[in-house]
Amino acid sequence: METEQLLLNMGPVHPSTHGVLRFKLRMDGEIIRDCQVVMGYLHRGTEKLGEMKTYLQFVPYTDRLDYIAAMPNNYAYVKAVEELAGIEVPERAEFIRVLCMELNRVVNHLVFLGSLLLDLGASTPIMYGFREREKALQLFEMLCGARMTFNYIKPGGVREDLPEGFIPKLNEFMKDMEKRVDDYEQLINGNEIFLLRMKNIGVISAEEAVNYGMTGPSLRGSGVKYDIRRLEPYSIYPDLDFKVCSYPEGDSYARYMVRIDEMRESLHILRQVADNMPPGKAATTQRYGIAPETGIPSSVMSYFPRIFTPPPGEVYSRIEAPKGELGFYVVSDGTTKPYRIKIRSPSFCNLVAIPSMIVGLKIPDLIAAFGTIDVVLGDVDR
Amino acid sequence: MIGIIQGLIVTLKHVLQIGNRPTVTVQYPYERMKVSPRFRGKHAVDEDACIGCGICEVNCPNGTITIVKYNTRWFPQFDLGMCLFCGLCVDVCPMNALKMTGDYELADYTRESLIYGPEKLLFKKEVNK
Amino acid sequence: MWTGDGMNAYELIVSILYSIDVYDLLLDAFRSAGMEYALRVIIVLVELAVLFGFVLITVMFLTWMERKVVAMVQSRYGPMVTGPRGLLQPVMDGIKLIGKEDIIPAGADRWIFTLAPFVVFVAALLVFIPLPFGYSLIISDLKVGLLYIIAISAVSPVAILLAGWASNNKYSLMGAMRAVAQDISYTIPLALAAIAVVVFTGSLSTVDIVNAQSGTLFGIIPKWFIFITPLGFILFLIASIAEMGRIPFDFQESEQELVAGFFTEYSGMKFAMFFLAEYAHLFAVSGIVVTLFFGGWTGPVLGNIPVQITSLIYFLIKTYAVIFFAMWLRDTVPRVRIDQLLNLGWKIMVPLALLNLLFAGFVVTAGVI
Repeated sequence: METEQLLLNMGPVHPSTHGVLRFKLRMDGEIIRDCQVVMGYLHRGTEKLGEMKTYLQFVPYTDRLDYIAAMPNNYAYVKAVEELAGIEVPERAEFIRVLCMELNRVVNHLVFLGSLLLDLGASTPIMYGFREREKALQLFEMLCGARMTFNYIKPGGVREDLPEGFIPKLNEFMKDMEKRVDDYEQLINGNEIFLLRMKNIGVISAEEAVNYGMTGPSLRGSGVKYDIRRLEPYSIYPDLDFKVCSYPEGDSYARYMVRIDEMRESLHILRQVADNMPPGKAATTQRYGIAPETGIPSSVMSYFPRIFTPPPGEVYSRIEAPKGELGFYVVSDGTTKPYRIKIRSPSFCNLVAIPSMIVGLKIPDLIAAFGTIDVVLGDVDR
Repeated sequence: MIGIIQGLIVTLKHVLQIGNRPTVTVQYPYERMKVSPRFRGKHAVDEDACIGCGICEVNCPNGTITIVKYNTRWFPQFDLGMCLFCGLCVDVCPMNALKMTGDYELADYTRESLIYGPEKLLFKKEVNK
Repeated sequence: MWTGDGMNAYELIVSILYSIDVYDLLLDAFRSAGMEYALRVIIVLVELAVLFGFVLITVMFLTWMERKVVAMVQSRYGPMVTGPRGLLQPVMDGIKLIGKEDIIPAGADRWIFTLAPFVVFVAALLVFIPLPFGYSLIISDLKVGLLYIIAISAVSPVAILLAGWASNNKYSLMGAMRAVAQDISYTIPLALAAIAVVVFTGSLSTVDIVNAQSGTLFGIIPKWFIFITPLGFILFLIASIAEMGRIPFDFQESEQELVAGFFTEYSGMKFAMFFLAEYAHLFAVSGIVVTLFFGGWTGPVLGNIPVQITSLIYFLIKTYAVIFFAMWLRDTVPRVRIDQLLNLGWKIMVPLALLNLLFAGFVVTAGVI
């Protein structure tokens, strides 16, 4: 019988491309023969924008990269700037930062869980995920007044100290969360249909994953124990007890399981941070550059200048964001604005591995594998 | 089969609301959630404290703020259609005159009506005499 | 327990009219005008109108119920604003859909595109003809009722294929192809599981099947076929969920993969037709499951309430229990992949259904029941 290959254009407006992503698929019936990922529909020129803003002004823009988990974006940029300018950060600020980032990791994985299951056709887990996320977002709201675009971590510390009653609320959230994760596991993990859809689907070998530059949980799902929190420790991570979760299979199910385990690990880290929160100031009191001491009582940032000039130089600093390695390359020419900013975003690098995972499989497998990569299009296109 | 039955049990627990699984939705227009005191919503300008210096204007990353003349003095005017609600203007204000309120229902029909001039933003701090 | 043939709805209406001394008057009036047949036509139209109205109201209620069940599972309230507990929400939805623009995409086959939703809807309605809603509440007790039901439910994939093909959209076409592949592979285990019941009853008539289930097994449990052939029940349930096209087997739509499958391009009332047909089908299939495996309208007799009313209530309770299960399952599980579904259908369910048939034949031959 004479057959013809079908060119299918999936996206940029499609229910399960998580935003504006486009796949150009060459189909043989239901089987994908070739896949091309077309991105750039959400390009906003964030890197270029950074060259026109002062160091402090660019922080809110980093919120808009990976808007599901914005704290690590804040931190990655701020860490680069602090290394560039040699700013020292008090211990309490570092504790608060780690607390925020790990809380955001839980939030990110909750959204991942929900959207993955929604992609597979189960409508309930996303509601459960968002129910718990709401509680975490309320914690963030309490902390910095915003729910998703925080602008909370700043060079020199954090914007405001912990509010009253934050730690008890956090403890309540963590206690609740443990039970909810059990619920998710009972609801999803053993489900035969879920296993059918996830096991041995979208397999990528460790070597191939490394070659594509995949990082984060997606890489750890292939059995590579690559976690920047351990390899190149930053902030207070060297003092914390947590294990790097990884599964050797490299299929969609392994990537899913890594994230479920990471949720538990993050809760474990959160507990340590919340219990050992040191007293002190949440922002540096070091006078920097030309700025006078203003001493405004409104903010713990009051000692830190709004405009500062790091010495000429360049720095690449990377952290383990929930989706993978997030790096900021910042070049200073000694003025108040960075000369160049380059963002190495985890979603972008993980996304390019999709074609090699799904060629020869079917459209539903593309959806499942794409869901387990966990990309945010704001992060892909920047 | 066993896994599916386990899942069915979890969802049934939610239907019957067994074990701290209550309905959590907020019926929005009729009931509202309390926003935190630090909530970053619509701005407010302290009429007595503001000196119209323009530091907020300079520091705004998005060019939201312009300083306009209102009666005899100068005050900031916010184009909330462009605002990031990052709170930098509040952080940098030398007189501590700016604050952000919990007012988040800012949707409007035209871009022009999103420009909030001093007449909409000014407030007077109560002073203990 | 009631046994015996009972009546169908036509005879029921006639007997009601007769009991209030109206029928003879009407008959005389029509006879004098020489239009005796007109009375029969009118009565048939009335019963069809009642059925149609009942199905429409049920469907509207089902859309509300679906949303409420989903909401309960997901810790939400669901529709709350329109009417008490949002009960009038389906009406508002209907008004909204009527008000929408009826779009026929460029390049679509206009005639087939317009025809398809009607075929789906009519096919969904026709299933109700031999479905016994209660004692003597049946439009027509066909001697081949079960065969008729299976035959009619094979019509809707044709209409879905028409819709998918006429839309001139790749996603629609793929959805339609999937629907056809799925229906072909699931009608067989469905029919085989139903035949096992027929082996027990020796009749294809739905009324006979219900009557065969009155009485008890070992004096305690009701003599429903679910207790006699549980395997047959599970196979029939899975196959009928697959045939209804609901999660976990909703490939014809599979929102996340094919946008909306075969009705991607439909809008306004044509979309509403598909929607209504889907829920009418859900109700019909649940009714068939109840008829075949849960004893249909049988149940304990209650005092001097007319048997037609109690039997209708029993039927509705059982049917809504099955519908609730379908909704509950829908909210719990993800979707299977199409090839996995076909594997399940051909490699597991067909052999099991044959085995079940063998078991039924063995039981009947051995005279256990």
